[in-house]
Amino acid sequence: MLEARLQTGALLKKLLEAIKELITDANFDCSDNGIALQAMDNSHVALVALLLRHDGFEPYRCDRSLALGVNLVSLSKVLRCAGNDDIITLKADDTADVLSLTFENTDNDRISEYELKLMDIDSEHLGIPDTQYDAVVQMSSAEFLRICRDLQVLSDSVQIDVTKEGVKFAAKGELGSGAVTLKQSGNVDKEDDSTLIELQQDVSLNFSLKYLVNFTKATPLSTRVSLSMSSEVPLLVEYKMEAGYIRYYLAPKIGEDN
Amino acid sequence: MEYEEESNSLEMKESSLDITHEGAARPPSGTNSALLKSYTYATSLPTALEKDQECILGVDEAGRGPVLGPMVYGICYCPLAKKDELADLGFADSKTLKEDERDNLLEVIMSRPDLIGWSVRVLSPMDISNSMLRKEKYNLNALAHDTTIQLIRETLASGVNLREVYVDTVGPPETYQAKLERIFPSITKIVVAKKADSKYPIVSAASICAKVTRDDVLRHWVFAESGIEENVSREFGSGYPSDPKTVKWLKKNMDPIFGYPNIVRFSWGTCKTLLETSGKPVRWEDDDEGPKQPRINAMLSQSNESDLAQQKRQYSTFTTKSAPRPRPQLMQDMSLKNVVEF
Repeated sequence: MLEARLQTGALLKKLLEAIKELITDANFDCSDNGIALQAMDNSHVALVALLLRHDGFEPYRCDRSLALGVNLVSLSKVLRCAGNDDIITLKADDTADVLSLTFENTDNDRISEYELKLMDIDSEHLGIPDTQYDAVVQMSSAEFLRICRDLQVLSDSVQIDVTKEGVKFAAKGELGSGAVTLKQSGNVDKEDDSTLIELQQDVSLNFSLKYLVNFTKATPLSTRVSLSMSSEVPLLVEYKMEAGYIRYYLAPKIGEDN
Repeated sequence: MEYEEESNSLEMKESSLDITHEGAARPPSGTNSALLKSYTYATSLPTALEKDQECILGVDEAGRGPVLGPMVYGICYCPLAKKDELADLGFADSKTLKEDERDNLLEVIMSRPDLIGWSVRVLSPMDISNSMLRKEKYNLNALAHDTTIQLIRETLASGVNLREVYVDTVGPPETYQAKLERIFPSITKIVVAKKADSKYPIVSAASICAKVTRDDVLRHWVFAESGIEENVSREFGSGYPSDPKTVKWLKKNMDPIFGYPNIVRFSWGTCKTLLETSGKPVRWEDDDEGPKQPRINAMLSQSNESDLAQQKRQYSTFTTKSAPRPRPQLMQDMSLKNVVEF
Protein backbone atom coordinates (compact mmCIF):
# COMPACT_ATOMS: atom_id res chain seq x y z
CA MET A 1 0.00 0.00 0.00
CA LEU A 2 0.91 3.62 -0.40
CA GLU A 3 0.98 6.22 2.30
CA ALA A 4 2.62 9.53 1.59
CA ARG A 5 2.35 12.62 3.74
CA LEU A 6 3.33 15.89 2.22
CA GLN A 7 4.05 18.78 4.59
CA THR A 8 3.56 21.46 1.96
CA GLY A 9 0.36 20.54 0.23
CA ALA A 10 0.70 23.54 -2.05
CA LEU A 11 3.40 21.66 -3.91
CA LEU A 12 0.94 19.05 -5.10
CA LYS A 13 -1.54 21.73 -6.10
CA LYS A 14 1.11 23.51 -8.15
CA LEU A 15 2.24 20.26 -9.75
CA LEU A 16 -1.26 19.52 -10.92
CA GLU A 17 -1.62 23.01 -12.34
CA ALA A 18 1.62 22.39 -14.21
CA ILE A 19 0.46 19.25 -16.01
CA LYS A 20 -3.31 19.22 -16.20
CA GLU A 21 -3.47 21.34 -19.34
CA LEU A 22 -1.23 18.95 -21.22
CA ILE A 23 -2.45 15.63 -19.94
CA THR A 24 -5.91 14.46 -19.03
CA ASP A 25 -5.25 11.00 -17.63
CA ALA A 26 -2.05 9.52 -16.28
CA ASN A 27 -0.65 6.85 -14.04
CA PHE A 28 1.13 7.84 -10.85
CA ASP A 29 3.78 5.16 -10.56
CA CYS A 30 4.48 4.70 -6.90
CA SER A 31 7.49 2.78 -5.68
CA ASP A 32 9.78 2.89 -2.69
CA ASN A 33 11.75 5.52 -4.57
CA GLY A 34 8.86 7.94 -4.66
CA ILE A 35 5.99 8.94 -6.92
CA ALA A 36 6.66 9.33 -10.62
CA LEU A 37 4.56 10.16 -13.63
CA GLN A 38 5.32 9.99 -17.31
CA ALA A 39 2.84 10.85 -20.01
CA MET A 40 2.55 12.29 -23.46
CA ASP A 41 0.09 15.02 -24.22
CA ASN A 42 -2.95 14.10 -26.30
CA SER A 43 -1.36 14.97 -29.60
CA HIS A 44 1.81 13.06 -28.74
CA VAL A 45 4.01 16.06 -29.27
CA ALA A 46 5.23 16.67 -25.74
CA LEU A 47 6.21 14.42 -22.90
CA VAL A 48 5.96 15.20 -19.21
CA ALA A 49 8.01 13.34 -16.63
CA LEU A 50 7.79 14.22 -13.00
CA LEU A 51 9.25 12.76 -9.86
CA LEU A 52 8.50 13.38 -6.22
CA ARG A 53 11.25 11.57 -4.33
CA HIS A 54 10.37 9.66 -1.17
CA ASP A 55 12.39 12.06 0.96
CA GLY A 56 10.03 14.85 0.07
CA PHE A 57 7.36 13.10 2.12
CA GLU A 58 7.27 12.57 5.84
CA PRO A 59 6.55 9.74 6.24
CA TYR A 60 6.61 7.83 2.93
CA ARG A 61 5.67 4.21 2.67
CA CYS A 62 5.18 2.11 -0.42
CA ASP A 63 5.63 -1.64 0.01
CA ARG A 64 4.80 -2.69 -3.50
CA SER A 65 4.96 -0.74 -6.70
CA LEU A 66 1.58 0.65 -7.65
CA ALA A 67 0.23 2.40 -10.71
CA LEU A 68 -2.55 4.76 -9.79
CA GLY A 69 -4.53 5.80 -12.86
CA VAL A 70 -5.93 9.23 -12.26
CA ASN A 71 -7.98 11.70 -14.19
CA LEU A 72 -5.92 14.81 -13.66
CA VAL A 73 -8.77 17.25 -14.06
CA SER A 74 -10.68 15.47 -11.30
CA LEU A 75 -7.61 15.34 -9.09
CA SER A 76 -6.95 19.02 -9.57
CA LYS A 77 -10.58 19.77 -8.64
CA VAL A 78 -10.22 17.79 -5.43
CA LEU A 79 -6.91 19.49 -4.67
CA ARG A 80 -8.57 22.85 -4.96
CA CYS A 81 -10.43 21.89 -1.79
CA ALA A 82 -7.14 21.85 0.06
CA GLY A 83 -5.76 24.99 1.64
CA ASN A 84 -2.34 26.17 0.57
CA ASP A 85 -0.82 25.41 3.96
CA ASP A 86 -2.59 22.10 4.43
CA ILE A 87 -0.70 18.90 4.98
CA ILE A 88 -1.78 16.41 2.34
CA THR A 89 -1.71 12.67 2.85
CA LEU A 90 -2.16 10.31 -0.09
CA LYS A 91 -3.24 6.74 0.54
CA ALA A 92 -4.04 3.78 -1.64
CA ASP A 93 -4.38 0.08 -0.96
CA ASP A 94 -2.65 -2.38 -3.25
CA THR A 95 -5.95 -3.55 -4.65
CA ALA A 96 -7.85 -0.35 -4.14
CA ASP A 97 -9.78 1.37 -6.83
CA VAL A 98 -9.67 4.71 -5.07
CA LEU A 99 -7.02 7.17 -4.02
CA SER A 100 -7.75 8.74 -0.66
CA LEU A 101 -6.61 12.22 0.12
CA THR A 102 -6.57 13.79 3.54
CA PHE A 103 -6.10 17.52 4.06
CA GLU A 104 -5.16 18.77 7.53
CA ASN A 105 -4.85 22.45 8.28
CA THR A 106 -1.87 23.82 10.23
CA ASP A 107 -3.87 24.20 13.45
CA ASN A 108 -4.81 20.58 13.11
CA ASP A 109 -8.46 21.38 13.82
CA ARG A 110 -9.87 20.79 10.37
CA ILE A 111 -9.50 17.51 8.57
CA SER A 112 -11.07 16.85 5.21
CA GLU A 113 -11.03 13.52 3.45
CA TYR A 114 -11.68 12.80 -0.19
CA GLU A 115 -11.66 9.68 -2.28
CA LEU A 116 -10.98 9.79 -5.95
CA LYS A 117 -11.94 6.90 -8.20
CA LEU A 118 -9.01 5.37 -10.03
CA MET A 119 -9.03 4.25 -13.61
CA ASP A 120 -7.16 1.81 -15.81
CA ILE A 121 -4.93 3.79 -18.09
CA ASP A 122 -3.30 2.25 -21.07
CA SER A 123 -0.08 4.17 -21.37
CA GLU A 124 3.01 3.94 -23.47
CA HIS A 125 6.19 4.25 -21.54
CA LEU A 126 8.92 5.97 -23.48
CA GLY A 127 12.56 5.37 -22.80
CA ILE A 128 14.39 8.66 -22.39
CA PRO A 129 18.05 8.24 -23.26
CA ASP A 130 20.71 10.05 -21.27
CA THR A 131 21.80 12.76 -23.62
CA GLN A 132 24.87 14.92 -23.53
CA TYR A 133 23.23 18.15 -24.67
CA ASP A 134 24.99 20.67 -26.91
CA ALA A 135 23.65 23.56 -24.91
CA VAL A 136 22.20 23.90 -21.44
CA VAL A 137 20.75 27.25 -20.46
CA GLN A 138 19.88 27.94 -16.85
CA MET A 139 17.78 30.97 -16.31
CA SER A 140 15.07 32.59 -14.25
CA SER A 141 11.80 30.73 -14.68
CA ALA A 142 9.83 33.98 -14.49
CA GLU A 143 11.97 35.42 -17.30
CA PHE A 144 11.36 32.33 -19.43
CA LEU A 145 7.62 32.66 -18.84
CA ARG A 146 7.67 36.31 -19.84
CA ILE A 147 9.65 35.69 -23.02
CA CYS A 148 7.35 32.90 -24.14
CA ARG A 149 4.23 34.96 -23.50
CA ASP A 150 5.67 38.05 -25.17
CA LEU A 151 6.74 36.23 -28.31
CA GLN A 152 3.49 34.33 -28.58
CA VAL A 153 1.94 37.60 -29.64
CA LEU A 154 3.96 37.40 -32.84
CA SER A 155 4.12 33.79 -33.84
CA ASP A 156 3.34 30.23 -32.83
CA SER A 157 6.96 29.25 -32.96
CA VAL A 158 10.17 30.53 -31.51
CA GLN A 159 13.69 30.18 -32.74
CA ILE A 160 16.17 29.61 -29.91
CA ASP A 161 19.81 30.34 -30.70
CA VAL A 162 22.44 29.61 -28.10
CA THR A 163 25.99 30.85 -28.43
CA LYS A 164 28.61 31.43 -25.78
CA GLU A 165 27.54 35.09 -25.56
CA GLY A 166 23.99 34.39 -24.73
CA VAL A 167 20.66 32.94 -25.69
CA LYS A 168 18.35 34.55 -28.21
CA PHE A 169 14.64 33.87 -28.53
CA ALA A 170 13.24 35.12 -31.82
CA ALA A 171 9.78 35.00 -33.36
CA LYS A 172 8.56 36.09 -36.74
CA GLY A 173 4.96 36.35 -37.78
CA GLU A 174 2.47 38.18 -39.94
CA LEU A 175 2.46 41.35 -37.90
CA GLY A 176 6.19 41.57 -37.49
CA SER A 177 9.08 40.08 -35.64
CA GLY A 178 10.67 40.23 -32.24
CA ALA A 179 13.62 38.88 -30.33
CA VAL A 180 14.80 38.73 -26.75
CA THR A 181 18.47 38.14 -25.99
CA LEU A 182 19.74 37.22 -22.57
CA LYS A 183 23.44 37.59 -22.05
CA GLN A 184 25.41 35.12 -20.06
CA SER A 185 25.83 36.86 -16.73
CA GLY A 186 27.78 36.20 -13.62
CA ASN A 187 25.47 38.27 -11.51
CA VAL A 188 26.27 36.77 -8.16
CA ASP A 189 24.09 39.19 -6.20
CA LYS A 190 20.93 38.13 -7.96
CA GLU A 191 21.54 34.46 -8.45
CA ASP A 192 17.92 33.74 -9.28
CA ASP A 193 17.95 36.11 -12.25
CA SER A 194 21.27 35.13 -13.77
CA THR A 195 21.57 33.32 -17.06
CA LEU A 196 24.15 30.55 -17.23
CA ILE A 197 25.12 28.71 -20.36
CA GLU A 198 27.02 25.46 -20.70
CA LEU A 199 27.90 25.04 -24.33
CA GLN A 200 29.47 22.22 -26.31
CA GLN A 201 28.29 23.57 -29.61
CA ASP A 202 26.08 26.42 -30.84
CA VAL A 203 22.49 25.41 -31.38
CA SER A 204 19.66 26.95 -33.33
CA LEU A 205 16.29 25.28 -32.97
CA ASN A 206 12.64 26.03 -33.59
CA PHE A 207 9.92 25.19 -31.07
CA SER A 208 6.19 25.52 -30.72
CA LEU A 209 5.40 28.45 -28.44
CA LYS A 210 2.04 27.00 -27.53
CA TYR A 211 3.80 24.09 -25.87
CA LEU A 212 6.48 26.22 -24.22
CA VAL A 213 3.84 28.49 -22.74
CA ASN A 214 2.13 25.38 -21.47
CA PHE A 215 5.36 24.23 -19.82
CA THR A 216 5.70 27.56 -18.03
CA LYS A 217 2.66 26.59 -15.96
CA ALA A 218 5.35 24.98 -13.77
CA THR A 219 6.91 28.37 -12.98
CA PRO A 220 5.50 28.52 -9.41
CA LEU A 221 7.39 25.30 -8.63
CA SER A 222 10.86 26.77 -9.07
CA THR A 223 12.57 30.10 -9.52
CA ARG A 224 14.94 28.51 -12.02
CA VAL A 225 14.44 26.62 -15.23
CA SER A 226 16.92 24.83 -17.42
CA LEU A 227 16.63 24.39 -21.16
CA SER A 228 18.73 21.57 -22.60
CA MET A 229 19.09 21.41 -26.34
CA SER A 230 20.76 19.45 -29.11
CA SER A 231 19.71 19.33 -32.70
CA GLU A 232 17.40 16.45 -33.60
CA VAL A 233 16.82 15.68 -29.95
CA PRO A 234 13.82 16.78 -27.93
CA LEU A 235 14.26 19.93 -25.92
CA LEU A 236 14.29 19.30 -22.19
CA VAL A 237 12.72 21.97 -20.01
CA GLU A 238 13.32 21.17 -16.39
CA TYR A 239 12.03 22.72 -13.19
CA LYS A 240 13.85 21.35 -10.15
CA MET A 241 12.13 21.10 -6.82
CA GLU A 242 13.51 20.36 -3.39
CA ALA A 243 12.81 16.67 -3.66
CA GLY A 244 12.13 16.00 -7.24
CA TYR A 245 11.63 17.59 -10.64
CA ILE A 246 9.23 18.17 -13.44
CA ARG A 247 10.61 17.70 -16.94
CA TYR A 248 8.99 18.53 -20.22
CA TYR A 249 10.24 17.21 -23.53
CA LEU A 250 9.36 18.75 -26.85
CA ALA A 251 10.55 17.81 -30.30
CA PRO A 252 11.98 20.71 -32.32
CA LYS A 253 9.99 21.70 -35.40
CA ILE A 254 11.65 20.62 -38.60
CA GLY A 255 12.01 22.17 -42.03
CA GLU A 256 11.39 25.71 -43.21
CA ASP A 257 13.46 27.39 -40.52
CA ASN A 258 13.42 31.12 -40.79
CA MET B 1 -46.19 20.77 -59.68
CA GLU B 2 -43.82 23.25 -61.24
CA TYR B 3 -46.35 24.01 -63.92
CA GLU B 4 -49.09 25.25 -61.69
CA GLU B 5 -48.15 28.88 -62.08
CA GLU B 6 -47.90 28.68 -65.80
CA SER B 7 -51.05 26.71 -66.53
CA ASN B 8 -53.41 29.11 -64.87
CA SER B 9 -56.24 28.24 -67.17
CA LEU B 10 -58.02 24.93 -67.09
CA GLU B 11 -57.94 22.12 -64.61
CA MET B 12 -58.38 19.80 -67.50
CA LYS B 13 -55.12 20.98 -68.92
CA GLU B 14 -53.35 20.39 -65.66
CA SER B 15 -54.52 16.85 -65.29
CA SER B 16 -53.60 16.13 -68.87
CA LEU B 17 -50.16 17.45 -68.05
CA ASP B 18 -49.88 14.96 -65.23
CA ILE B 19 -50.80 12.19 -67.57
CA THR B 20 -48.11 13.28 -69.94
CA HIS B 21 -45.67 13.24 -67.05
CA GLU B 22 -46.40 9.87 -65.61
CA GLY B 23 -47.66 8.26 -68.76
CA ALA B 24 -45.28 9.65 -71.34
CA ALA B 25 -42.73 7.21 -72.60
CA ARG B 26 -39.32 7.94 -71.19
CA PRO B 27 -36.66 8.88 -73.70
CA PRO B 28 -34.38 6.00 -74.63
CA SER B 29 -31.39 8.10 -73.62
CA GLY B 30 -32.21 8.07 -69.89
CA THR B 31 -30.86 5.55 -67.43
CA ASN B 32 -32.35 3.22 -64.88
CA SER B 33 -29.27 2.76 -62.84
CA ALA B 34 -27.29 5.07 -60.62
CA LEU B 35 -25.39 7.60 -62.70
CA LEU B 36 -21.81 7.48 -61.53
CA LYS B 37 -19.94 7.21 -64.80
CA SER B 38 -20.72 9.40 -67.75
CA TYR B 39 -22.19 7.58 -70.74
CA THR B 40 -23.16 8.13 -74.36
CA TYR B 41 -26.42 7.13 -75.97
CA ALA B 42 -26.63 7.09 -79.75
CA THR B 43 -29.43 6.17 -82.13
CA SER B 44 -28.72 4.09 -85.17
CA LEU B 45 -28.21 5.90 -88.46
CA PRO B 46 -31.30 7.34 -90.12
CA THR B 47 -32.82 4.56 -92.20
CA ALA B 48 -33.21 6.71 -95.31
CA LEU B 49 -29.63 7.92 -95.16
CA GLU B 50 -27.81 7.06 -98.35
CA LYS B 51 -24.16 6.21 -98.35
CA ASP B 52 -21.99 9.34 -98.29
CA GLN B 53 -25.03 11.55 -98.32
CA GLU B 54 -24.07 14.99 -97.00
CA CYS B 55 -25.42 15.82 -93.57
CA ILE B 56 -25.76 18.73 -91.18
CA LEU B 57 -25.26 18.40 -87.46
CA GLY B 58 -26.20 20.56 -84.48
CA VAL B 59 -24.68 20.53 -80.99
CA ASP B 60 -26.20 21.90 -77.82
CA GLU B 61 -25.95 21.36 -74.12
CA ALA B 62 -28.38 21.17 -71.25
CA GLY B 63 -27.69 21.57 -67.57
CA ARG B 64 -24.47 23.51 -67.59
CA GLY B 65 -25.45 25.88 -64.80
CA PRO B 66 -27.30 23.67 -62.30
CA VAL B 67 -25.65 22.49 -59.13
CA LEU B 68 -27.61 19.23 -59.31
CA GLY B 69 -27.72 16.41 -61.78
CA PRO B 70 -25.94 15.66 -65.01
CA MET B 71 -24.79 17.94 -67.78
CA VAL B 72 -25.93 16.60 -71.12
CA TYR B 73 -24.50 17.25 -74.57
CA GLY B 74 -26.75 16.46 -77.48
CA ILE B 75 -26.11 16.24 -81.17
CA CYS B 76 -28.66 15.83 -83.88
CA TYR B 77 -28.10 15.32 -87.58
CA CYS B 78 -30.02 14.87 -90.82
CA PRO B 79 -29.28 14.93 -94.54
CA LEU B 80 -28.41 18.40 -95.80
CA ALA B 81 -31.02 18.05 -98.54
CA LYS B 82 -33.77 17.49 -95.98
CA LYS B 83 -32.89 20.60 -93.99
CA ASP B 84 -36.17 22.34 -94.81
CA GLU B 85 -38.19 19.33 -93.80
CA LEU B 86 -36.60 19.60 -90.37
CA ALA B 87 -37.47 23.27 -90.06
CA ASP B 88 -41.08 22.40 -90.82
CA LEU B 89 -41.22 20.11 -87.81
CA GLY B 90 -41.09 23.29 -85.70
CA PHE B 91 -38.09 23.39 -83.45
CA ALA B 92 -37.28 26.27 -81.19
CA ASP B 93 -34.91 26.84 -78.32
CA SER B 94 -35.57 24.19 -75.70
CA LYS B 95 -35.31 26.67 -72.85
CA THR B 96 -38.29 28.62 -74.08
CA LEU B 97 -40.44 25.52 -74.37
CA LYS B 98 -42.43 23.95 -71.60
CA GLU B 99 -41.52 20.48 -70.51
CA ASP B 100 -44.46 18.76 -72.20
CA GLU B 101 -43.80 20.59 -75.46
CA ARG B 102 -40.20 19.46 -75.34
CA ASP B 103 -41.22 15.88 -74.63
CA ASN B 104 -43.51 16.10 -77.60
CA LEU B 105 -40.77 17.44 -79.82
CA LEU B 106 -38.49 14.58 -78.84
CA GLU B 107 -41.31 12.29 -79.89
CA VAL B 108 -41.42 14.17 -83.19
CA ILE B 109 -37.69 13.59 -83.61
CA MET B 110 -38.11 9.94 -82.73
CA SER B 111 -40.99 9.58 -85.15
CA ARG B 112 -38.60 10.25 -88.01
CA PRO B 113 -35.89 7.61 -87.63
CA ASP B 114 -35.66 7.70 -91.41
CA LEU B 115 -34.57 11.31 -91.32
CA ILE B 116 -32.92 12.17 -88.02
CA GLY B 117 -30.13 10.60 -86.04
CA TRP B 118 -29.05 11.85 -82.61
CA SER B 119 -26.94 11.05 -79.63
CA VAL B 120 -26.32 12.43 -76.20
CA ARG B 121 -23.46 12.25 -73.79
CA VAL B 122 -24.56 12.34 -70.16
CA LEU B 123 -21.84 13.64 -67.85
CA SER B 124 -22.38 12.51 -64.30
CA PRO B 125 -22.21 15.13 -61.52
CA MET B 126 -19.39 13.10 -60.00
CA ASP B 127 -17.34 13.27 -63.20
CA ILE B 128 -17.98 17.00 -63.47
CA SER B 129 -16.90 17.63 -59.86
CA ASN B 130 -13.89 15.38 -60.20
CA SER B 131 -12.76 17.18 -63.34
CA MET B 132 -13.16 20.60 -61.84
CA LEU B 133 -11.66 19.75 -58.48
CA ARG B 134 -8.68 17.74 -59.54
CA LYS B 135 -5.20 19.07 -59.01
CA GLU B 136 -4.71 20.18 -62.59
CA LYS B 137 -8.00 21.97 -63.05
CA TYR B 138 -10.10 20.95 -66.00
CA ASN B 139 -12.70 23.62 -66.41
CA LEU B 140 -16.21 23.38 -67.64
CA ASN B 141 -15.39 24.92 -71.03
CA ALA B 142 -12.64 22.40 -71.69
CA LEU B 143 -15.02 19.64 -70.66
CA ALA B 144 -17.66 21.08 -73.00
CA HIS B 145 -15.24 21.23 -75.92
CA ASP B 146 -13.91 17.74 -75.40
CA THR B 147 -17.39 16.28 -75.08
CA THR B 148 -18.54 18.00 -78.26
CA ILE B 149 -15.47 16.84 -80.12
CA GLN B 150 -16.00 13.31 -78.90
CA LEU B 151 -19.63 13.27 -80.07
CA ILE B 152 -18.73 14.63 -83.52
CA ARG B 153 -15.89 12.11 -83.83
CA GLU B 154 -18.16 9.24 -82.95
CA THR B 155 -20.73 10.41 -85.50
CA LEU B 156 -18.08 10.60 -88.20
CA ALA B 157 -16.81 7.19 -87.16
CA SER B 158 -20.28 5.70 -87.56
CA GLY B 159 -20.09 6.64 -91.22
CA VAL B 160 -22.01 9.91 -91.40
CA ASN B 161 -20.66 12.34 -93.97
CA LEU B 162 -20.82 15.68 -92.17
CA ARG B 163 -20.80 18.83 -94.31
CA GLU B 164 -22.04 21.44 -91.91
CA VAL B 165 -21.81 21.61 -88.12
CA TYR B 166 -23.59 24.16 -85.96
CA VAL B 167 -22.53 24.53 -82.35
CA ASP B 168 -24.06 26.52 -79.54
CA THR B 169 -21.47 28.04 -77.27
CA VAL B 170 -21.19 29.79 -73.96
CA GLY B 171 -17.57 30.94 -74.27
CA PRO B 172 -16.10 33.07 -77.07
CA PRO B 173 -17.25 31.55 -80.40
CA GLU B 174 -14.22 32.56 -82.54
CA THR B 175 -11.50 30.56 -80.79
CA TYR B 176 -13.82 27.60 -80.33
CA GLN B 177 -14.73 27.63 -84.03
CA ALA B 178 -11.05 27.80 -85.01
CA LYS B 179 -10.32 24.88 -82.72
CA LEU B 180 -13.07 22.74 -84.26
CA GLU B 181 -11.99 23.68 -87.80
CA ARG B 182 -8.49 22.54 -86.97
CA ILE B 183 -9.68 19.24 -85.56
CA PHE B 184 -12.24 18.48 -88.27
CA PRO B 185 -10.72 19.69 -91.56
CA SER B 186 -13.07 17.43 -93.53
CA ILE B 187 -16.14 19.37 -92.43
CA THR B 188 -16.69 22.21 -94.90
CA LYS B 189 -18.69 24.53 -92.72
CA ILE B 190 -18.41 24.88 -88.98
CA VAL B 191 -20.46 27.56 -87.27
CA VAL B 192 -20.02 28.27 -83.58
CA ALA B 193 -22.46 30.87 -82.33
CA LYS B 194 -24.10 32.11 -79.22
CA LYS B 195 -27.79 31.21 -79.02
CA ALA B 196 -27.36 28.91 -82.00
CA ASP B 197 -30.35 26.94 -80.74
CA SER B 198 -32.69 29.76 -81.68
CA LYS B 199 -31.06 30.36 -85.06
CA TYR B 200 -30.62 26.86 -86.44
CA PRO B 201 -33.37 24.22 -86.26
CA ILE B 202 -30.79 21.41 -86.14
CA VAL B 203 -29.21 22.92 -83.01
CA SER B 204 -32.65 23.38 -81.57
CA ALA B 205 -33.35 19.70 -82.19
CA ALA B 206 -30.06 18.81 -80.49
CA SER B 207 -31.01 20.98 -77.54
CA ILE B 208 -34.30 19.09 -77.25
CA CYS B 209 -32.44 15.77 -77.11
CA ALA B 210 -30.12 17.10 -74.44
CA LYS B 211 -32.72 18.82 -72.33
CA VAL B 212 -35.24 15.97 -72.38
CA THR B 213 -32.50 13.54 -71.44
CA ARG B 214 -31.31 15.70 -68.57
CA ASP B 215 -34.83 16.21 -67.24
CA ASP B 216 -35.48 12.49 -67.43
CA VAL B 217 -32.26 11.53 -65.65
CA LEU B 218 -32.91 14.07 -62.91
CA ARG B 219 -36.56 13.07 -62.49
CA HIS B 220 -35.72 9.37 -62.29
CA TRP B 221 -32.48 9.89 -60.38
CA VAL B 222 -31.27 6.70 -58.74
CA PHE B 223 -29.19 7.36 -55.65
CA ALA B 224 -26.06 5.26 -55.62
CA GLU B 225 -25.73 5.77 -51.88
CA SER B 226 -27.55 3.05 -50.03
CA GLY B 227 -30.28 3.91 -47.59
CA ILE B 228 -30.87 7.49 -48.59
CA GLU B 229 -33.61 7.02 -51.16
CA GLU B 230 -36.21 7.29 -48.37
CA ASN B 231 -34.55 10.14 -46.50
CA VAL B 232 -33.64 12.51 -49.29
CA SER B 233 -36.35 14.61 -50.81
CA ARG B 234 -36.76 14.73 -54.57
CA GLU B 235 -37.89 18.35 -54.58
CA PHE B 236 -34.78 19.38 -56.47
CA GLY B 237 -36.36 22.33 -58.20
CA SER B 238 -34.71 23.26 -61.48
CA GLY B 239 -31.25 22.51 -60.10
CA TYR B 240 -30.10 26.08 -60.76
CA PRO B 241 -28.39 27.71 -57.76
CA SER B 242 -30.70 30.68 -58.23
CA ASP B 243 -33.81 28.55 -57.74
CA PRO B 244 -35.07 28.88 -54.14
CA LYS B 245 -36.37 25.30 -54.30
CA THR B 246 -32.92 24.02 -55.16
CA VAL B 247 -31.32 26.10 -52.42
CA LYS B 248 -33.86 24.72 -49.97
CA TRP B 249 -33.04 21.19 -51.08
CA LEU B 250 -29.31 21.82 -50.66
CA LYS B 251 -29.82 23.21 -47.17
CA LYS B 252 -32.12 20.41 -46.05
CA ASN B 253 -30.28 17.45 -47.43
CA MET B 254 -26.75 18.05 -46.32
CA ASP B 255 -25.12 15.64 -43.95
CA PRO B 256 -22.77 17.66 -41.75
CA ILE B 257 -20.04 15.07 -42.15
CA PHE B 258 -20.61 13.34 -45.46
CA GLY B 259 -21.97 16.33 -47.35
CA TYR B 260 -24.16 15.48 -50.30
CA PRO B 261 -25.02 12.42 -52.34
CA ASN B 262 -23.49 12.14 -55.77
CA ILE B 263 -26.31 14.01 -57.49
CA VAL B 264 -24.65 17.24 -56.39
CA ARG B 265 -21.75 18.90 -58.16
CA PHE B 266 -19.38 19.52 -55.31
CA SER B 267 -17.32 21.88 -57.41
CA TRP B 268 -20.09 24.50 -57.50
CA GLY B 269 -19.54 27.59 -55.38
CA THR B 270 -23.01 27.32 -53.82
CA CYS B 271 -22.19 23.86 -52.61
CA LYS B 272 -18.72 24.76 -51.35
CA THR B 273 -20.07 27.70 -49.36
CA LEU B 274 -22.82 25.60 -47.79
CA LEU B 275 -20.39 22.83 -46.86
CA GLU B 276 -18.01 25.33 -45.35
CA THR B 277 -20.63 27.17 -43.35
CA SER B 278 -22.98 24.36 -42.29
CA GLY B 279 -20.78 21.29 -42.43
CA LYS B 280 -18.34 20.12 -39.82
CA PRO B 281 -14.90 21.59 -40.33
CA VAL B 282 -12.11 19.24 -41.28
CA ARG B 283 -8.58 19.88 -40.20
CA TRP B 284 -5.98 18.39 -42.49
CA GLU B 285 -2.80 18.06 -40.55
CA ASP B 286 -0.69 18.19 -43.66
CA ASP B 287 -2.16 21.56 -44.60
CA ASP B 288 -0.84 23.24 -41.50
CA GLU B 289 1.62 25.80 -42.65
CA GLY B 290 5.11 26.33 -41.41
CA PRO B 291 7.59 23.94 -39.96
CA LYS B 292 6.39 20.49 -39.05
CA GLN B 293 5.98 19.49 -35.45
CA PRO B 294 7.25 15.93 -35.07
CA ARG B 295 5.85 13.60 -32.47
CA ILE B 296 7.82 13.09 -29.31
CA ASN B 297 7.38 9.31 -29.45
CA ALA B 298 9.03 9.27 -32.85
CA MET B 299 12.14 10.75 -31.28
CA LEU B 300 12.25 8.74 -28.10
CA SER B 301 12.49 4.98 -28.19
CA GLN B 302 9.31 3.23 -27.24
CA SER B 303 11.13 1.24 -24.60
CA ASN B 304 14.43 -0.48 -24.14
CA GLU B 305 13.26 -3.80 -25.52
CA SER B 306 15.01 -5.33 -28.48
CA ASP B 307 13.22 -5.19 -31.82
CA LEU B 308 12.57 -8.90 -31.65
CA ALA B 309 10.89 -8.63 -28.30
CA GLN B 310 8.81 -5.74 -29.57
CA GLN B 311 7.76 -7.66 -32.62
CA LYS B 312 6.84 -10.64 -30.55
CA ARG B 313 4.75 -8.45 -28.35
CA GLN B 314 3.11 -6.78 -31.28
CA TYR B 315 2.06 -10.00 -32.91
CA SER B 316 1.16 -11.84 -29.77
CA THR B 317 -2.55 -12.41 -29.43
CA PHE B 318 -2.23 -12.73 -25.72
CA THR B 319 -2.18 -9.57 -23.77
CA THR B 320 -0.76 -9.52 -20.35
CA LYS B 321 -1.08 -6.88 -17.72
CA SER B 322 2.61 -6.15 -17.57
CA ALA B 323 3.07 -5.73 -21.31
CA PRO B 324 -0.06 -4.34 -22.92
CA ARG B 325 -0.25 -4.58 -26.67
CA PRO B 326 0.75 -1.32 -28.32
CA ARG B 327 -2.17 0.65 -29.57
CA PRO B 328 -2.63 0.63 -33.33
CA GLN B 329 -0.78 3.48 -35.03
CA LEU B 330 -3.98 5.07 -36.29
CA MET B 331 -5.42 5.17 -32.79
CA GLN B 332 -2.22 6.77 -31.54
CA ASP B 333 -2.07 9.27 -34.34
CA MET B 334 -5.65 10.37 -33.97
CA SER B 335 -5.45 10.27 -30.17
CA LEU B 336 -8.38 7.88 -30.10
CA LYS B 337 -9.28 6.19 -26.88
CA ASN B 338 -11.22 3.09 -26.02
CA VAL B 339 -14.60 4.05 -24.71
CA VAL B 340 -15.80 0.47 -24.31
CA GLU B 341 -13.85 -2.42 -22.87
CA PHE B 342 -14.09 -5.60 -24.91
